[in-house]
Amino acid sequence: MQNTIASDHPLTPEEQALLRTLAGLIVPASEEFDVPGADDPTIFADILQSAVAQQAEVKAALEYAAGLDGHPAAHVETLQMSEVVAPVVALVMQCYYRADAVLVSLGMEPRPPYPEGYEVEQGDWSMLEAVQQRGKIWRDV
Amino acid sequence: MSNTTQGRDDAVDFSPADVLIIGAGASGATAAWSLTDTRMRIVCLEQGGWNNPQAYPTAGRDWEARGQADFSINPNRRQLRGDYPVNDDDCPIKIANYNGVGGGTVLYAGHYPRFHPSDFRVKSLDGVADDWPIDYEMLEPYYAENDRQTGVSGLAGDPAYPAKQSVMPPLPMGKSGQTLAAGFNQMGWHWWPSDSAIATQPYNGRDKCINLGNCIHGCAQGAKASTDITYWPEAIRAGVELRTWCRVKEITLGEDGLANGVVYFDENSEEQFQPAHIVIMACNGVGTPRILLNSVSDRFPNGLANGSGLVGKNLMLHPYASIQGLFEEALDGHHGPHDSLWSQEFYETDERRGFVRGFTYEFNRGRGPVATALTGAFSGRIPWGDGHHAAFRKLHNRLTGVVAICEDLPEEHNTVTLDPHLKDAHGIPAPKMTYTISDNSQRMLDFSVARASEAIRAAGAYDLLIESPLSVGGWHLMGTARMGADPERSVVNEWGRSHDVKNLFIIDGSIFVTSAGVNPTRTIQTLALYIADQMKKRLANLFD
Repeated sequence: MQNTIASDHPLTPEEQALLRTLAGLIVPASEEFDVPGADDPTIFADILQSAVAQQAEVKAALEYAAGLDGHPAAHVETLQMSEVVAPVVALVMQCYYRADAVLVSLGMEPRPPYPEGYEVEQGDWSMLEAVQQRGKIWRDV
Repeated sequence: MSNTTQGRDDAVDFSPADVLIIGAGASGATAAWSLTDTRMRIVCLEQGGWNNPQAYPTAGRDWEARGQADFSINPNRRQLRGDYPVNDDDCPIKIANYNGVGGGTVLYAGHYPRFHPSDFRVKSLDGVADDWPIDYEMLEPYYAENDRQTGVSGLAGDPAYPAKQSVMPPLPMGKSGQTLAAGFNQMGWHWWPSDSAIATQPYNGRDKCINLGNCIHGCAQGAKASTDITYWPEAIRAGVELRTWCRVKEITLGEDGLANGVVYFDENSEEQFQPAHIVIMACNGVGTPRILLNSVSDRFPNGLANGSGLVGKNLMLHPYASIQGLFEEALDGHHGPHDSLWSQEFYETDERRGFVRGFTYEFNRGRGPVATALTGAFSGRIPWGDGHHAAFRKLHNRLTGVVAICEDLPEEHNTVTLDPHLKDAHGIPAPKMTYTISDNSQRMLDFSVARASEAIRAAGAYDLLIESPLSVGGWHLMGTARMGADPERSVVNEWGRSHDVKNLFIIDGSIFVTSAGVNPTRTIQTLALYIADQMKKRLANLFD
């Protein structure tokens, strides 16, 4: 954890630690699916870096979470229903679901869409015959 | 009124322009291109800048995150240099636009339907709103011209339209389109390949679509027809001067009652005055009334060209409903353009449904992993903790559906006004949108949700995600400077000229009399070509 806490980050070390705790609660590691959690050092480093652009919303969420009694794990039901915490959920998801290990586990290529693009099948255009048989449906004026 | 010329840049030609266009988006680009025939000196002022398509989000691993940040559809979230704030607190449908060369076409999906003949005759046919002073037949040649210039993909023979040709083959149905089409066939309902402003073959220097997806945050491939890569290159080669990072503060009025130029802030935030013989507004349904209302004078104390009192009134937005199904089998996910198919089964009025007018279903594809995770988390389908991964995999690539684009009728209490407090970075008063969804629109939304739910269930969905109205969907901004023959009931005449100011033209979505139940961009560009042509035919007596 030490290697992902930056002293010049707008979040205090305490806030960074709480953010990492929340990230692990939102998306924990899974042996069953062979994926890391969102508190994985590489993924959390991305989360921390991305939090800078959203620091006001993230700080508000962390302040809310810090105000709950005891460990956040005791308040998961409350936290996941909270609109104040929603920006942290969005932040965690946007970083977690672009991590190489996660995309590979989903059968996706860890690359941007451009420039390679993707194949999409044409589909069965003969399905239109039923529509054509009905004839004109626009209204004369 | 100010005519400040301080800080004038000697490299800029401030001699009077023959034509000054405000806004380089869908309509401004189209009119500029058309008017180059005249060999007049044409200057366009655009408050944003150019984009490099290869820097659009899909060129990076953070493509989904950027769609909610610097390429958000909402200017209040995006807050880029070219943007201005919009107060939409009193509007259940939030503003969506783009300020830069290409305007909204940079971020639109490219879903590109025409209006129907009946859309221009709503008063005659259904006894509501007003008829347009022009009709489908008059616009058809301009639709065709715009289709060729834009490069429209689709399939001829749609029984929901009069005959029209497609320039290129349709976009692929994909697994998602085929699945949904099967549901619509089971219901016995219309569907057809969407007309799309997306190249399916190399076309006029643009490469073909390679199914990047994420079209509404810019097309890195350049297959989507945004006007920065369609009309503008040709217009500039023909001599049009396009000045970027130039935000217009007001249009000024001469003693003769004609517009004589505009005051604007240039790229260095210096106030400038550009004189002009003709001024064309092309800022769409919020930007255009904002500038007109900010342009006050002794003659027009309530805003330029506002003798009717209708500038900023009759705002129409197209309430959207989103109906998405969850399927057991894997579909397309985020691969492929948003566009694929449409249904206009419920487009024309049938009062047995409980409302007048109608709507289009625009078929969607799927979502990327981030959007899927957020959809699941915020709809309660993906929990925090150990259940996360299994729940995510039940949604991943298994989501598709439709949105309903509902015709909005004009109501004077739906408005764009000037916010008394909010200003942009240059101190110019910002617009405020005030809007309520009418009873007719609400009944239409409810009907669209009910019918789509049936079709998507018939297609095999085991669960549905519904949002109605779609709160983020204020893409279509129309009606706030309406067209008409009566100067007391409209702002511009039947060829786009202000009733009050004879050298002021409006060519964007604000002149729409009614909204139809389709995306408006194709008709906005068609109107721009039509109005430019009317101007060209009348050059000898344009101001009479």
